[in-house]
Amino acid sequence: MNARKRERRRYAKPGGETYVFRLFVVGAESNSTQARGNLARLCEEHLKGRYQIETVDVLKDAATAHKNNVLVTPTLILIKPFPKVTVFGNLSDTRQVLAALRLIGDER
Amino acid sequence: MSHRKRPVHRPKIRMKEAEALVWALKTHQVDGIVGERHIMVCRMKEVEEKLESSRDQVRALAASLQSVRENEKAVIAREIHDEFGQALTILQLGLSWMAGKVDPKQQPVQEKIRSLSALVTAMIQSVQRIADELRPGVLNELGLVKTLKAEAREFEGHTGIRCRFETNLGKATFDRVGSVAIFRIAQAALTNVARHAHASRAMIALLKRNRHLILTVQDDGQGITKKKVHSHHSLGIIGMRERALALDGTLTFSGSKGKGTTMTVRVPLSRVLIGKESVSS
Repeated sequence: MNARKRERRRYAKPGGETYVFRLFVVGAESNSTQARGNLARLCEEHLKGRYQIETVDVLKDAATAHKNNVLVTPTLILIKPFPKVTVFGNLSDTRQVLAALRLIGDER
Repeated sequence: MSHRKRPVHRPKIRMKEAEALVWALKTHQVDGIVGERHIMVCRMKEVEEKLESSRDQVRALAASLQSVRENEKAVIAREIHDEFGQALTILQLGLSWMAGKVDPKQQPVQEKIRSLSALVTAMIQSVQRIADELRPGVLNELGLVKTLKAEAREFEGHTGIRCRFETNLGKATFDRVGSVAIFRIAQAALTNVARHAHASRAMIALLKRNRHLILTVQDDGQGITKKKVHSHHSLGIIGMRERALALDGTLTFSGSKGKGTTMTVRVPLSRVLIGKESVSS
């Protein structure tokens, strides 16, 4: 794969594509609540109208957490578009989360 | 019937993800750990916040207690000085009057009056000393720099340990709370030198360095151990640290066997200085 193709795969295509997220939380604990709020805000600001969030409370549905190899909560998994991305924590570092989700270039 | 053990579930994790996971754990952004059979809810962030808040409360309480103690000491010092000082002075005058009235031939009475008068003079000096120790009046009159200089001289006189004083602060004026705290820390450090250091020389330095006031008390004694510095039995050190913290400062000790001990207090100048200072080299 040449450099140009690799570059194209690193960034999400602008517009059109629906982002599907699965957020694993534990009850109403502080970091989980923050992660829910931060994800909703990020999606509204950067993906308005083209996102789906599925929230999984691991206390109620541990099987899905095991199936998705979830070790800790909060864990955010970007299911679509490919490739799959996993982000840990309360998603408070907006720049880092956007870079991980390929919504901005990774400036690190 | 035999029970076959369930195979252990080993989730796959890539290096980059592992680093991100460690970072999330380190920064307390994790509130649940998903195990194979159990889910552990951990409230590290809340516990840490509560701990920090309770630490702040303890510090505020300690600072308030120090302030109450200083105020009480000032009241006691005033009472001792005014009540006892005055009564003893009247007693002294009365004895002088009696000495004048008694026939010089009555040698034993004259002798008794003289010895009582000497005792009263000693008591007046003791009252003065106790009142000064409770509330260093010289702090108000002379200011912190000169009071520390006098303290060094007095320390040398009491203990026989040579004590030098250095400063680069000229006519700096310190606020009352700040100067009392710095003076008390220096006093406590000198007490430690006299009691524990087995030193032959000591030095007090009060210096201005980059927006900080630095008090150093150094000796050439046996050197403090780390264990002593952090021991919860070292009440003197705990008190000194609380006084430094109340001024947003820090207190550190360095010591090694045979090389003596250096105690350093670093306080932001803005917390203690109220007058313009002239720095001399």
